[in-house]
Amino acid sequence: MIRTSLRYHRPATPEESTAILVEYAGDVVVLGGGTMILPMMHRAEVEAGHIVDLRGLGLATVTEEGRYVRIGAMVTYGDLLDSDVVAREAPLLRRMAGAITGGNQLRNLATAGGAACYGNPSSDVPAVLVALGATMCLHGPAGERRVPAAEFFVDAFRTAVGGGEFLMWMEVPRLVVEVGYHKLKLCEGSGPIVTAAVVRDGGRTIATVGAASVTPLRFDLTSCVDSGVDTVDELIRDGVVNPWTDVLADGRYRRDVAGAVVRRAVADLREG
Amino acid sequence: MDPIGSAAPARTIALRVNGVELTTPIEDRELLVDVVRKRLRQTGTHVGCYNGDCGVCTISLNGKIIKSCLILAASADGGDITTIEGFSGGEELDDIQQAFWDEDGFQCGFCLPGMLFAARDLLERNPEPSEADIRQAISGNICRCTGYVNIVRSVHTAAQRRTS
Repeated sequence: MIRTSLRYHRPATPEESTAILVEYAGDVVVLGGGTMILPMMHRAEVEAGHIVDLRGLGLATVTEEGRYVRIGAMVTYGDLLDSDVVAREAPLLRRMAGAITGGNQLRNLATAGGAACYGNPSSDVPAVLVALGATMCLHGPAGERRVPAAEFFVDAFRTAVGGGEFLMWMEVPRLVVEVGYHKLKLCEGSGPIVTAAVVRDGGRTIATVGAASVTPLRFDLTSCVDSGVDTVDELIRDGVVNPWTDVLADGRYRRDVAGAVVRRAVADLREG
Repeated sequence: MDPIGSAAPARTIALRVNGVELTTPIEDRELLVDVVRKRLRQTGTHVGCYNGDCGVCTISLNGKIIKSCLILAASADGGDITTIEGFSGGEELDDIQQAFWDEDGFQCGFCLPGMLFAARDLLERNPEPSEADIRQAISGNICRCTGYVNIVRSVHTAAQRRTS
């Protein structure tokens, strides 16, 4: 039971949603999948008098739109796993979704968009969105606003989402690149310790490292990969200047293992 | 902010619960698991961690298994729910429940409703799961009695009986 009074809103339009977020600013939260915010409200770690459920906005769809795949903010990990479009055009998203812990009972509720907006450094989602060059499409008082994923994650638990704004869609470019991925976790039920997505596009090889730092980090591996991967560990270790510490792992451990995780992602890319 | 108590925002929602159409008053702040247990008295759905970890509150909502501590009851308005009370559709055990019975797939039984829903979800997607598939499928459910060995065996037996 959430112990404080709460008023539930299920707006039918983006404009109505923003109006509620503005009217109750400071005393309102956005409800996506709910798998993070509701336990936090149950434990009184988050208190709000109003909650805006995005279920009425038709955002639970995956569609092909020209050069990108559009993922609605209410698309669950289960939806990503069931989507033929995702399997064909954005297989890294499918792979990420399959590795989310908590069982299908959780993946049928939790949303990738919600994880992005929560901005937990120890999450699978931010680095994958950055690696794929996704665009975050927000709605707010000034209407639509588009933010590249690389600029969306500002700090631990801080994103570019401003007052009165909420996530509508994520636009993920269709796969025109080779991708390798590796996720290190303590056990089946653990969140990620470090993730790495390696993308080869044309002549460049870019690694995006997640959970090692407060926000995703990008590394140009082109010269390392061309000359063998021996220098990767040093490059990654030096690049993790603000390592992330939480209950799962100390930041120094994350920095130490990040290079190995990247090398495994490179190996995954090579093996196809 | 509204004071806590009778003035808390509330509404009436419509649900289909184990095949029965009904309406129930709820407070906006109530989680679905609490409505299922305390208002609908379907107490076979258990509640453990309230954090999405343990899986004992697993039910089916609109054909998909979910952890009912992770959703507001208001969000489920209009939904079709199956709880463990409606799992077999009658008074008899269904084949998965029977396999758990035959293989001693539970001890205290607290995790059992969630395990059964996870097992059914797996077998609907994958009729011939490997042990690794079964362990993956129940990774959202915690059992503190059995060490999972007999649970895995139960799911395997249920799968074998269906395909033989």
